[in-house]
Amino acid sequence: MATVPVAAVEPLARPAPDVATGGPGRGRFRNSIAVGLFMGPAAIVLGAIVVYPTVDTIIRSFFDKSGNTFVGTNNYRTLFGTTEMLIAIRNNAIWVIVFPFLVTFAGLVFAVLTERIRWATAFKTVVFMPMAISLFATGVIWRIVYETDPHRGVINSAVGTIVDAVHPPGLYALPNIKPISGLAAQPDGSMLSNNTVQPGGTLKLGLTGILPENIPPGAQDAHAPSGASGGVSGAVWRNFSPGGQIGVIGNGEKGLPGMHLTLLRDGNGSVASTTSVADGSFRFNDVSSGSYRVSVDSSNFRTPFGGTNWLGIQSLTPTSGLGSTARSLLTIPLVDISEIIAMLWIWSGFAMVVIGAGLAALNREVLEAAKVDGANEWQTFRKITLPLLRPVLIVVFITMIINVLKIFDIILGLVPDSSQHEANVIALQMWHLYSRFDYGLSSAVAVVLFVLVVPVIFFNIRRIRG
Amino acid sequence: MSNITFDHLIKRYTPGAAPAVNDLNLQISDGEFLVLVGPSGCGKTTALRCLAGLEDITGGRIIIGDRVVNDLPPKDRDIAMVFQSYALYPHMSVYENMAFSIRLRKLPKEEIDQRVREAARILDLERFLQRKPGELSGGQRQRVALGRAIVRSPSAFLMDEPLSNLDAKLRVQTRAEIARLHQRLETTIVYVTHDQVEAMTMGDRIAVMREGILQQVGTPQDLYQTPNNLFVGGFIGSPSMNFLTGTVSSDGGSVRLKIESLDIALAGRVAELARTRGNGSSLTIGVRPEHFDTAAPGAADTMRLPASVDVVEFLGNEDLIHTTVAGKDVVAMVPSVRGVKVGDQLELHVLASLVHAFDPQTELALTGSDGARPAPPPAVPAQAPAPAAGTD
Amino acid sequence: MTAIAAPAPEAPSAPRWAHLRRILKSTPVNVLLVAVGLLWLVPTVGLLVTSFRPAADYFASGWWQAIAHPAVLTVENYRNILHTGGIGDALITTVLITVPATLLVVLIASLGAYALVFLRWPGRDWVFVLLVALMVVPLQMALIPVATLYGHLGLYGTIPGVVLYHVAFGLPFAIFLMRNFYSGIPKDLLEAARIDGANEWMMFRRIVLPLGMPALASLAIFQFLWVWNDLLVALSFLGAYPHPPLTVNIFNKLSEFGTSIDVISTASFISMIIPLVVFFAFQRYFVRGVLAGAVK
Repeated sequence: MATVPVAAVEPLARPAPDVATGGPGRGRFRNSIAVGLFMGPAAIVLGAIVVYPTVDTIIRSFFDKSGNTFVGTNNYRTLFGTTEMLIAIRNNAIWVIVFPFLVTFAGLVFAVLTERIRWATAFKTVVFMPMAISLFATGVIWRIVYETDPHRGVINSAVGTIVDAVHPPGLYALPNIKPISGLAAQPDGSMLSNNTVQPGGTLKLGLTGILPENIPPGAQDAHAPSGASGGVSGAVWRNFSPGGQIGVIGNGEKGLPGMHLTLLRDGNGSVASTTSVADGSFRFNDVSSGSYRVSVDSSNFRTPFGGTNWLGIQSLTPTSGLGSTARSLLTIPLVDISEIIAMLWIWSGFAMVVIGAGLAALNREVLEAAKVDGANEWQTFRKITLPLLRPVLIVVFITMIINVLKIFDIILGLVPDSSQHEANVIALQMWHLYSRFDYGLSSAVAVVLFVLVVPVIFFNIRRIRG
Repeated sequence: MSNITFDHLIKRYTPGAAPAVNDLNLQISDGEFLVLVGPSGCGKTTALRCLAGLEDITGGRIIIGDRVVNDLPPKDRDIAMVFQSYALYPHMSVYENMAFSIRLRKLPKEEIDQRVREAARILDLERFLQRKPGELSGGQRQRVALGRAIVRSPSAFLMDEPLSNLDAKLRVQTRAEIARLHQRLETTIVYVTHDQVEAMTMGDRIAVMREGILQQVGTPQDLYQTPNNLFVGGFIGSPSMNFLTGTVSSDGGSVRLKIESLDIALAGRVAELARTRGNGSSLTIGVRPEHFDTAAPGAADTMRLPASVDVVEFLGNEDLIHTTVAGKDVVAMVPSVRGVKVGDQLELHVLASLVHAFDPQTELALTGSDGARPAPPPAVPAQAPAPAAGTD
Repeated sequence: MTAIAAPAPEAPSAPRWAHLRRILKSTPVNVLLVAVGLLWLVPTVGLLVTSFRPAADYFASGWWQAIAHPAVLTVENYRNILHTGGIGDALITTVLITVPATLLVVLIASLGAYALVFLRWPGRDWVFVLLVALMVVPLQMALIPVATLYGHLGLYGTIPGVVLYHVAFGLPFAIFLMRNFYSGIPKDLLEAARIDGANEWMMFRRIVLPLGMPALASLAIFQFLWVWNDLLVALSFLGAYPHPPLTVNIFNKLSEFGTSIDVISTASFISMIIPLVVFFAFQRYFVRGVLAGAVK
C-alpha cells in the first residue's frame, strides 16, 4: 500500500485563498521583465517617432509658422481659403471616388479570368510587377507613355493611328496655306470661291503659302481653264512665282493636283464633287443651269493627329461661368485621370492577388452545389461567389482608400510643372508647406489628412478584432 | 517518492466566472497510473495544466513530492508532458526533438546521445531519428512525443488525450504500448481523456470530473460497480446505464415502483432501499444494458420490465435492442441467440442485486445497510483512499 | 458476330470534340489576357528601350520603332550617367538606408510580435489595437516634430535619422504581420518547450524565430521595397545631403535637366533594377506578405 506523506500537505482552511491575486510573485516579475525586453524596442521607437510626433503635429497645427504663438483655428481657416488647398482636396476626392472602384473591379476581373488560363502565374507576375517599382519611377515611366507627340508617346501614337485611319490627313496639311485669289477661307476650314459661276463658266482659285517641296510630286504647270458646255471647270493652283501676279496664272506656276472640290448650288448645298488633276484643272460635268460656287474641301488641309496632352489641365467638366472657388472644386483636369490610370497599373496586381486568394479560399462545394441547383456560370458568380468575396473586396477597397489619401510621389514623378498646380493633392500640399518651413499650416494639412484616415482606422480595428 | 497532491485546487480563468476546477482534492501516489476522465469542459485538462505549471492557479496548492509547486515554473517541476497535438517542433529532427529538453539542461553530449537512443530503442524509433516530424505517420509522431517525455526520466508523465488523434485501430495498439511503458518505467502517469473506455482499460485509478468538480475516485471496478451518483453511473460503462424514475408504493409485503402507467415490483436490495425511503417517495433505478436478459433466470430476486422492441442492432454475439418501457427509451444487450425482433413485446429481466438506486433530487446513489453492496466512498473524500495494490 | 466487332462509332471521337470545345471556349479569355499582359508590359519596356537610345533618337521616333532596329541601341547613357550622374554614390546611400532599416524592422517586429502573442500581460490587447491604428497613420503626420527632434539630436540630414524614421513607420505593419503569423504557431509547442526547460528567450530563439522564417522573409522583402522606393522621407530629411539616395537623385535630375530623357530614363531604370530582381527572386514571399497583411 502506497501511502502519502500527508504531514507535508496540511489541508488549507476553506475557502482556499486566491493566490493569483496576492500580488506579484517571482514568476510575475520575471514575466514583466520579458515583456519589457521583447516589447521595449518597438515601444520606444514607436513612441518617439510615431505617437509623440503625431500628437505634437496636432498641437502645432494651432500655432503659427514659428510654433511659438497660439493662433487657434487660424491655420485651418487660412487653409480652406486657399485655392491650392481646395484643389488638393478636390483631387483627393476624385481619387477616393474613382480609384478604389476601378482597382477593385480590375482586380476582380483579372482574378476571375486568370482562373481559366494555364499561364496564370506568368500573367500574375506581369501585372503584379509594377508593385516593385517606386511610385516616382512609375511617374517617369508614364511620362514617356503619355508623351504628347504621337511619334514619342505610345498612347498618342495608338490614338493617332486610329484617328488618321478614320480621318486621313489632307494632302495640303500645311501650316501657312491660305487663299489668295478667287476664293476665301471659311470658318469650317474650307475655302469658297468668291464668284458664282454658270454652267459653261470657269473659276480660277489661287492659293499661296505652299513651299516648293510641299507641292505634290508630278504637279504640272497650271493653265488658264477653258469653259466646257454644260459643265463647270476651273483651275486650282499655287498663285506664287517670282514676278507673278495675284489672280493671274503666271509662267511656271504649278497646278495643285489631288484637291477635293465640291460644287455648291448658290445657297442650296452641294451638288457634285471632283478632284483636281496634275495641272490643277478640274471639271464638273452635266451641271444644270443655275448659279454655283466651288468649295475647296477642308479635308484637303486636315492636319494629322497631333497628340493629346494627357498631362494637361483641360477640364473634363464644363467650368465656364463658374466663380473661382466653384471652378477649383468642380474642375476635373485630364491629368487626374491620367494619374489614376498610372496608379491602376501599379495596384491592379495587388487587387488581383488578394481577390485571387479569396477566390481560391472559397468552398468549392458551395459553388458546385449552386451548379447542381441549376445556376449558370453568371448566376453562380453573381449570387454565390460575389457575396462570399465581399469581405475580401472590402479589404482591397479600404486599402486603396488609404493609399489614395496619402498619394504623393507619383504626382511629383508624373506631372509636369505646368500641371502641378491643378494636380495638387493634400500630401503634396503638406510637403510644399513643409519645405517652405511653414510648420503651422503644414501641420494643419497633415491633420486634415489624418482626420480623413481616422474612419479607416476605426473600420480596421473593428474588422481585425472581429 | 513523488506523490502528487491537489489540495483544494481552484482555477478560475476570469474573475467572478464559474471556476474551471472547483476545490479539487486528489492524491496520486508514486508509480500510479491515474486517469482524469469526464466530458469536455469538465476541468480535467485544466487540472493537468495547473499541475504542469502552464496555468496560474487561483487557489489551493499543488504538491509534487514534498514541494509546493504553485510558483515553480514548469521546467522546475520535474514533469514531462505529452500533448494532444504532440507539439513536436516541426523544424527539428526526431533526434533534436527528443534531445531538446536535456540539451537545455546542459547534460553531457554522450549522455544526451545515450538517453535519446535508449528512448528511441524502447519506442522503435531508431530508423526515424533524422526525420522531421512532418515526414512521420500519426502513430510515429505519437511515439516521438512519448520519447521526448521519456528521455527526461521525470518523476511524472502528464498526458493530455494523447490518443485522440489516432485512428481506432492504432489507438487500441498504443493503449497497450503506454500500459507496457508504465510497467517498465514505473513512473507516475497522470492521464487525461474523455473516453471512458480508455480510462477503464488503462488506469490504476480513475478520477471522474464534471463541471470542475471531482465526482468520484476509484479503481475501474469501483466505478463500474458502485457509482457514487447518477453522473458517474451514466458516464462509466458503454452503452450507458438506463435510468427510470418513479414513485415508490409499498403495501405490507411488496414494494412497487410506479413509472407512468407502469407498475413494477421491486426486489432484493432495491426493495429494501425503497421501503426505507417510504411510501410515495420518488426513486431512480439504474440498470446497465448488459445486465438485462429476456430469458427468465428463475431467481427469486429478479425484476421484470415489460418492453416493446423498436430497433435491433446486431453486434455479433449480442444484440443491442432499443426498447420502450413506460414511454422511456431503454437499451438492453442480450445474447443474439434470443432472436429478438423488432415489434416484439417482451419482458426484460434483471437481477435485483445488479440494479442501482439513486435519489432523483440529489442524484446521489442510495446506500443501505445491505452488506452485499459496499457503501461507496463519500463524494469528495478529504483524503482519497489508497489505491488497491497490483490492480493490473 | 460482326456486331460485337463493330465499335460504337461516336464514343471515341466525343472526348476530342469536348477538348476542342473547351479550347474554343477559352480562346477569348486567353486572347484578352495576352492583350492585358502586353499592355502591362509596355510602359516598363518603353522606359527600358528609351534608356538604351541616344537622346536625339527620342525626339526623332518612338521607342517601339527602335525595337525593330536593335542596332541603334547603345549603352552610352549608362556609361555617361555612371561617370557623371553621382548614381554610384546615390546607390550606396540607398543601400546604407535600406539594409539597416530592413534588418532593424525585422528584428524589432519579431520581438514585439512575440510579446503580443506568447506573453500574457495587462493591456496587451490595447497595444495591439493601437498598432492597428498606427498602421494607417500617414508618414506626413510626424515629419515636422521629428525634423525638430532630429535637429536637437543632430540626426537631421543623416542616414541614421532616415533609417530610424523608416523603422518607426514600418513597425506597425511589421508587428501586425508577424503577430498574425505567430498566432498560427500552436501554443502547445511553446508549452512543450516551457516544460522542456526553455526560458522566454530560448523559446523565441529556438522555436518561434525558426518557425517564423517564411513570414520574416515576406516582411523583409516588403520593408526593403518600401524603403528603397521611398521618396518623401528621403526628400524631407536628406534633401540637402551631398549624396542623396536614388529616388532623390532622380527627383533632382528631373527638376534640373527638365526634359533630358536620356538621363532620367537611365537613372530611373537603374533605381528599378534591384527592386525588380528582389521581386522576381522572392515573388512567392512577396505575395504571401501581401496576403498576410491584407487578409486576416
